[in-house]
Amino acid sequence: MQKGFTYLLAALILLPFSLLLLLSLAEGWSFPSILPDAWTAEHWSRLFQLDGDLGQSLLLSIGISLFVATVATISGFLTSRFIAYSPFRERYLIMAYCPFVLSPVVYAACIHFFFIKMGLSGHIGGVLIGQLIIAYPFAVIICHGHWNERIRSMEQLVATLGGSRREAFQKVILPLSKGILLVCFFQCYLISWFEYGLTTLIGVGKVQTMTLKVFQYINEADIYLAALSSWLLFLPPAILLWFNKRFVFREVNVS
Amino acid sequence: MYKALGIRWFLLLTVLPLAAGLIYALLYSLGLAGILGNGFTLAYWQSVFAEGVVWRSLGYSAYIATASMSLACLLALGLVIKLRTAFQKGILSYVIYFPLAIPAMVAAFISFQLLGKAGLFSRLTYALGLTESLQSFPDLVNDFWGIGIIFSHSLMAFPFLLLLFLGTYEGERLGELKQIAKTLGAGEGYISRKIVAPILLKQNFAAILLYFIFVLGSYEIPLLLGREAPQMISVLTIRKLQRYDLLDKPEAYIIALIYCVLVLTAMVISLRRSKILQKN
Repeated sequence: MQKGFTYLLAALILLPFSLLLLLSLAEGWSFPSILPDAWTAEHWSRLFQLDGDLGQSLLLSIGISLFVATVATISGFLTSRFIAYSPFRERYLIMAYCPFVLSPVVYAACIHFFFIKMGLSGHIGGVLIGQLIIAYPFAVIICHGHWNERIRSMEQLVATLGGSRREAFQKVILPLSKGILLVCFFQCYLISWFEYGLTTLIGVGKVQTMTLKVFQYINEADIYLAALSSWLLFLPPAILLWFNKRFVFREVNVS
Repeated sequence: MYKALGIRWFLLLTVLPLAAGLIYALLYSLGLAGILGNGFTLAYWQSVFAEGVVWRSLGYSAYIATASMSLACLLALGLVIKLRTAFQKGILSYVIYFPLAIPAMVAAFISFQLLGKAGLFSRLTYALGLTESLQSFPDLVNDFWGIGIIFSHSLMAFPFLLLLFLGTYEGERLGELKQIAKTLGAGEGYISRKIVAPILLKQNFAAILLYFIFVLGSYEIPLLLGREAPQMISVLTIRKLQRYDLLDKPEAYIIALIYCVLVLTAMVISLRRSKILQKN
């Protein structure tokens, strides 16, 4: 009984993904057919045409997300150390939570004027900075819990044994921090990868990331390409999550 | 030196944009900045309060967030209590991670393809003879009660909460607590209602509240699955900001300001009450 329910639940969880896959392979799907009227691989072939707009959007999204995640993780990791050991730690943490809890699109609406003044509106640089403004405080929030008494004691031990601060950082802290750095990078990558509202407002629709492509196809009522773009949005984080699932969630729970 | 640089970088990326944005929005709403900046006026604020659209939108957003989180919490709690072991090994321990990789935009698209008049559920009910045509299927998207929006948010929140609850179940050793309660004569239902559910909810209160705030300000899902009225707060703000009528712009900034003040106040209060800010 329970086994049957387990498989039913698994099927229900997988239903949205199956539906998207069917849609991306469908040529037509008129009501009231349960399955598509005809099948085609034409939509998927667009994926391999990297000179096409879909391929370009995919590469652009990957590039933006990698840049945002890398900068946010490195700077968030380093600055979170100063914040964690600061006497104003609580104040700084509240400041870090502020941009994180606000709706990114409302936040973007408030700061868009400054992006226009700096000539960054409608440019990839503006989108990168805009997403960094959201992802960086999140990186600080994730990493600050890592700087505990144990890490501090190890730093002090290295100093007592004659090691420099650089050596302590390179040979003790970095190896100990691999887990949190990986989790932080993954989460920041997701923030950037999933971002729509801020990107469309700061980028004025000119920086066509994958989320903008999905919206464009939905607006054009091209549900087959919207389904394909949705799969492309879903696949990279799903693969990353698959390989790191237990590790990622354990670290998130700890932090 | 490095510390000062680090803190400056933090303030530059975190505090400066937020403060600048809020000050600009305030000045714009008071007629002191922007194209309509002809001198101090409270007319835009009076207009927003007289219209009352902002309160309706906030109320609607709160309703959507409450309904979505309640549904997701109930589902996650029920599954953790009844099927916990199934999520620790076997097929469910793998597939439960997949919905975490769904962006809001895709969740909205999926909901539309499932719940729309020509969606999968409509086709299934037609095949089973429960509906006679496309029109006889009820409005589940772009509807007044926001069923499609609530469905999408619950779809996104429930796996996250379930994994969070599973982690807490192990961390708080609820299995052992349950065993003790059973030894003392408590029944399964009583243990679930009086021990397991309250502990799981209390331990994850901050995470649930943060998710609630996230749903409150959500944009993509209500943009695709919502109606012209009532609108969720983010959609209302952006629609007013992007209208051709310039007089709508100060109102958009006022709505954004009211939303920001409410959310930030709620966040500060909940953070101070939770364990999040406590030092390790």
